[in-house]
Amino acid sequence: MKKIILLLLTLALALSCTACALHGKQRYTATLPDYFDTVTTVVAYDTSEKEFQQHLALFKSRMNDYHRLYDIYHTYEGITNLKTINDTAATAPVATDTRIISLLSYGKEIYALSGGKTNICFGAVLALWHKARQTQPAQLPAMRALQNAAAHTDINDLIIKDNTVFFKDSQLQLDVGAIAKGYAAKKISAWAEAELWSSAIINIGGNVCAFGTKADDGKTKWTIEIEHPDIASSKSGIETLYATDVSVVTSGDYQRFMTIGDKRYCHIINPETLMPSEYVSSVTIICKDAALADALSTTLFNMPIADGKKLIETMENAEALWVDKTYHKTFSSGFERYIQK
Amino acid sequence: MKKYDFIIIAAVLAIAGILFFFLYGTPAHNGKFVTVKIDGAITQTLPLAENRTLEIETAQGNNTLEIKDGYARIIAADCPDKICCHHAPVRRNGESIICLPHRLIISISSTEDNEIDARI
Repeated sequence: MKKIILLLLTLALALSCTACALHGKQRYTATLPDYFDTVTTVVAYDTSEKEFQQHLALFKSRMNDYHRLYDIYHTYEGITNLKTINDTAATAPVATDTRIISLLSYGKEIYALSGGKTNICFGAVLALWHKARQTQPAQLPAMRALQNAAAHTDINDLIIKDNTVFFKDSQLQLDVGAIAKGYAAKKISAWAEAELWSSAIINIGGNVCAFGTKADDGKTKWTIEIEHPDIASSKSGIETLYATDVSVVTSGDYQRFMTIGDKRYCHIINPETLMPSEYVSSVTIICKDAALADALSTTLFNMPIADGKKLIETMENAEALWVDKTYHKTFSSGFERYIQK
Repeated sequence: MKKYDFIIIAAVLAIAGILFFFLYGTPAHNGKFVTVKIDGAITQTLPLAENRTLEIETAQGNNTLEIKDGYARIIAADCPDKICCHHAPVRRNGESIICLPHRLIISISSTEDNEIDARI
């Protein structure tokens, strides 16, 4: 009898140990090239490859929804997206999805916060730059054409009423590139945390959202590396950050650009000069709110470091790191706690 | 304790050991790899330790990948922006070079560490 009890106890112990192994989550990664005209990477912890693939399928489907809604270049059957709005909203108010209405309303808030440095109604000017980048060989848009386009960028001509959008200026065009990825990242990662994963880090083309912890162990911080703006050098990152439950966004002149002669023209356009912004090489923002982080990174990229510093110090829970054209780093007052492991 | 007890204990431990082995599995390789992904699908996985130059053909165009002295980089491409060619050589786990026009991703993976979780 004793022997049987001993046998059962030993078996129970052995099985409980193997059960531990079953519960341990493993790290899985995915790289997705299909959304927001950029690359998205996901690192998440799941119990099996099968479970991860199931979660990833749900994640991709949600990414695709936002991608289609916020696309200004393509129309999709059965969806009134930003391209439809750009094409038709000057004729009559267009009824659209609440996810577009909330994004555009947020765009208005950001316009006020940034003093016009980040303007979702800047589409007419940005379209000229987009075309210039696509043309081979690359050529700068004519200043007169830029100035003519700039006359049609007044955010007050964007009328949002209930679930409809209307353009008071027939040549107004929306370009949400400065805020849409961050806004989508915020919404999608909040959903993913509630529905899919306890620990994950999602990077939508430079918009990082991290929740839970590395290894899903409840204590290890995520490691986020900021690239060196001199991408042709073999230097590794310019700074390494350690954080949990935050969003990190970098706007850099090395991310998307065109080269004419020896000069690099970046994709972020200064609304005052109508030319590519020249103040810094990159700006990184850390804050809880991914949408705000994205908007602030563009805003600070479009102003001198001293002005940006003044703005960021008035905001609670937002920190910034500037890398200037000579790769010298400037930190906001609370940034340093993120560079310690 | 009798001889019989030891046999039972040994048998139980052996079963637990075998179960443990199956659940965790064994890592088949050690070291760093260069993963080539086209249109989201892995087409090749190459050891970073072996030097080679490789022509990668995608539906959108071609890129030339060089693996040399523990680094991987794109040395030529017929894409419009050439951002992939300007990118610094990569060697650390998680680093990648992306050619968006060709939907090509070159990335470094490792069986040993995963130090960097996101790179921006």
